[in-house]
Amino acid sequence: MSDKGAWLEERAGWKAIWETVFLRKIPKVNWFYTLGSASLVVCINQGITGILLTFYYVPSPDQAWASVNYITNELAFGGFIRGMHHWGSSLLVILVVLHMVRVFIMGAFKYPREITWITGVVLLLLTLGFGFTGYLLPWDQKAYWATTVGTRIASVTPVIGDFLLKVMRGGEGLSVLTLTRFYGVHVWVLPAILLIFLGVHLYLIIRNGISAPPKKGN
Amino acid sequence: MTSKTETPQVDRRNFFQIAISAIGGIIATGYAIPAIGYVISPALEEETAGWIQLGSVGNIPLNTPVLFKTKVTQKTGWVTGYKEFAVYVTTDDGENYKAISNVCTHLGCHVRWDEDQEAYICPCHDAAFDINGQVLHGPPPRPLDEMNIRIEDGNIFMLGG
Repeated sequence: MSDKGAWLEERAGWKAIWETVFLRKIPKVNWFYTLGSASLVVCINQGITGILLTFYYVPSPDQAWASVNYITNELAFGGFIRGMHHWGSSLLVILVVLHMVRVFIMGAFKYPREITWITGVVLLLLTLGFGFTGYLLPWDQKAYWATTVGTRIASVTPVIGDFLLKVMRGGEGLSVLTLTRFYGVHVWVLPAILLIFLGVHLYLIIRNGISAPPKKGN
Repeated sequence: MTSKTETPQVDRRNFFQIAISAIGGIIATGYAIPAIGYVISPALEEETAGWIQLGSVGNIPLNTPVLFKTKVTQKTGWVTGYKEFAVYVTTDDGENYKAISNVCTHLGCHVRWDEDQEAYICPCHDAAFDINGQVLHGPPPRPLDEMNIRIEDGNIFMLGG
């Protein structure tokens, strides 16, 4: 170990953490076992590019579209940053679903990994929530009507449907109240919940190790 | 990690450590350069200066600064709004005019002409400037900025943007 490593080790005890997280033993697996890591990478991409988008985006009906247009067409690298966030969101949904399919087919959700599976299901729902709320934010025709339809779907829920619709929209129709609450949910509520569940999910993966692919005949 | 081999050749573990670090570095750079460009982009835009009409010179008394206020439309980012200008115009002979910025050279508060003290007073840190913008007392590092003006048909124009 280098001098700097020893200096840090004495004060922070990082070596045990490093070894536990990055040097843990894993069974012989195939490339499908990288889908979880790929999801994490794209998730981090969404965080970085999303934070950057808030530098210019305004969640107000009279400025939302113009600010997105400014980001896309006038800022240096604005189209790139927004593009990474836009395409990343679709890619993340695909990766998360494929990751879940892999875990399901390999039976990796079984004892002792049930909690990892359940937190993973919550993470999938959160990902879809991010996609749904983020879709409205550019405040263009596609966003407006997609949210009109999306919230109307929720309104067919028995008994509480109408109430649910009003809660989601912040009133009868789509308005400034819909935009600001979708923004709040997209950039504060969902990320906060995501961090909690992602933390538990990753902790359990490290705590229990990843499962080996089942052998033929078992 | 635990025991280093003395052989100079790169083993499998070392190779992957180097390769992962290199790829990670490339990806980090791929984020950092666009991110920096994206954030500093508006700061790199040059403001274009133009002649802005302030008003008529007819009503300016001798040795008494008159505040001219005007605003021009300006597009900032995606918002078209107004940018306000306020300058003090003085003359000691009714022919030659001088325009002085009302922005304090200390930290940018707005000064105002005080009749009683015969000085420009900055309310923020108690600075005072004389009628020509020279510092009388207080923290400002330099006199008030003089603006570039021209008179045309009794109207006063200022170069600004």
